Amino acid sequence: MCFLNVICVPDEVIRKRLLIDGDGAGDDRRINVLMKSFTKWCHSNFSPEEGFSQYQRMLTTLAQCEFSMGKTLLVYDMNLKEMENYEAIYADIERSITSAHEKIAECKKEIQRAKRIRKNRQEYDALARVIKQHPDRHETLKQLEALDKELQQLSHIKENVEDKLELRKKQFHVLLTTIQELQQTLENDEKMESDDTQESSMENGD
Amino acid sequence: MGPVELLHMSVFSQSFSPCGRFLAAGNNYGEIALFSLSAALSPDASEGSQKPILNFTAHDGPVFSLLSTDTHLLSAGNGEISAWSWAELIKKVSQLFSKCMTSLEIPEINAMIINPKDNSLIVGGGDNNIHIMDMETGIFKSVLKGHTDYIHCLCFKEREEEILSGGEDGAVRIWGHTEIPLSRFQTCSGMVGQECARPQFGKWISCLATDSDWMLCGGGPSLSLWHLRSMSPTSVFPLPGCQREAVFHQDLIMSVGEGPYVSHCLHGGTVKAQIPCTPSSLNTLALNLKNTEHRVMTVGGSSHQIDVFTNFSYRAFSLSF
Repeated sequence: MCFLNVICVPDEVIRKRLLIDGDGAGDDRRINVLMKSFTKWCHSNFSPEEGFSQYQRMLTTLAQCEFSMGKTLLVYDMNLKEMENYEAIYADIERSITSAHEKIAECKKEIQRAKRIRKNRQEYDALARVIKQHPDRHETLKQLEALDKELQQLSHIKENVEDKLELRKKQFHVLLTTIQELQQTLENDEKMESDDTQESSMENGD
Repeated sequence: MGPVELLHMSVFSQSFSPCGRFLAAGNNYGEIALFSLSAALSPDASEGSQKPILNFTAHDGPVFSLLSTDTHLLSAGNGEISAWSWAELIKKVSQLFSKCMTSLEIPEINAMIINPKDNSLIVGGGDNNIHIMDMETGIFKSVLKGHTDYIHCLCFKEREEEILSGGEDGAVRIWGHTEIPLSRFQTCSGMVGQECARPQFGKWISCLATDSDWMLCGGGPSLSLWHLRSMSPTSVFPLPGCQREAVFHQDLIMSVGEGPYVSHCLHGGTVKAQIPCTPSSLNTLALNLKNTEHRVMTVGGSSHQIDVFTNFSYRAFSLSF
């Protein structure tokens, strides 16, 4: 297939060239022929019918020339309008390109922000997980309060017991000292009694 | 370079030039290759533009770490840090600018980062310590001791000027301005981090990345996202292999490691995508954010090819050594 294309292409080119040049040669040739026939018509002696037919022929050639001129003018106008159209489209595309660029930059900023937010959220989650593992603060506070109360009660009891102990100690101390004193007094009395009997026996012996 | 050497080549480190038009990559033979991104990304790129424009031997041992400052390329391998001028490299002159033979005898330097505020270079390596060097004078200002095994990766928190380091001992340490670590946490012992631990791989941390309050760490344990203020792991990523490098990028987390793909993950813990690449396992990932025209991601690993991603969702082409 591709070999055929290679051979056909020069044909196409030649055909196009012939068409284009043919048209141009046709127009030019027509004008030249017109001029030549006009001068010939003016200078030569034709019979009236021949002259008239030649005149008609020249009119047709002129009409053809005008027609082709009109056609080229229209084509020219069309080309100008097409150019304007394309310029407009081009400007439009330029504008949309710049706005797309701006949007891309915006989106990039957004993505950076979103990434930061995501990172913060993740860090928050991670810390929250760790915190959740620890017991609730209220619970711990309550437990602490209860323990405090217990501690107070126990120290109260301890104080009471200690006071009682002191009191008993003192009471026993008083008791013991009284007993000792009584013992002492009794001994003294006994001693005094024995002294008395000794003295009285000594008096009787004299 | 014969075919056998090409087969056994691994790319360990990458760095983009300050202008963003060139990529330097270091491999396990000690060579650094310079690729021109503008040539490789231009519309009339050919096979030749995917080859290095300059390839020179920088170190005796592998080049584990590459870092670019505004004017120089720093490369580090087994114990020495060399500086190359980018202007000279772009003109294809591989003349050494300066070399610091660290008298401290660091066996290997795995990670280097820069503190831009006081212009110091922070180096971590095989001697379990972090050394801070002043770039103006070249003397080592201080040493941060604390790790019990060698350091794999370093990371810098710009806002608070803190250094994060991760090592073979499985601990991530945060260092402030003093030499005592601000805090440390073991990622897989104790109650903290139990869900990340993967004992079948070990406890070593090979990648660290930070994004102000958040930190990524992975390696032996699964890649996990930690909230630094509360020191708690918030998400564990279900990636099968050990991750060697991870970065934060916009709302995604990108990580590379064992397995011929780049994983895109969300902060919530889901793996959004796994983009296949040519090397069978990847060691390094670099993002060129300095230059908007050549905004690419490049990954390198156990292959002589470096994959270039223009749209982060698929591999565009590969540069090869």
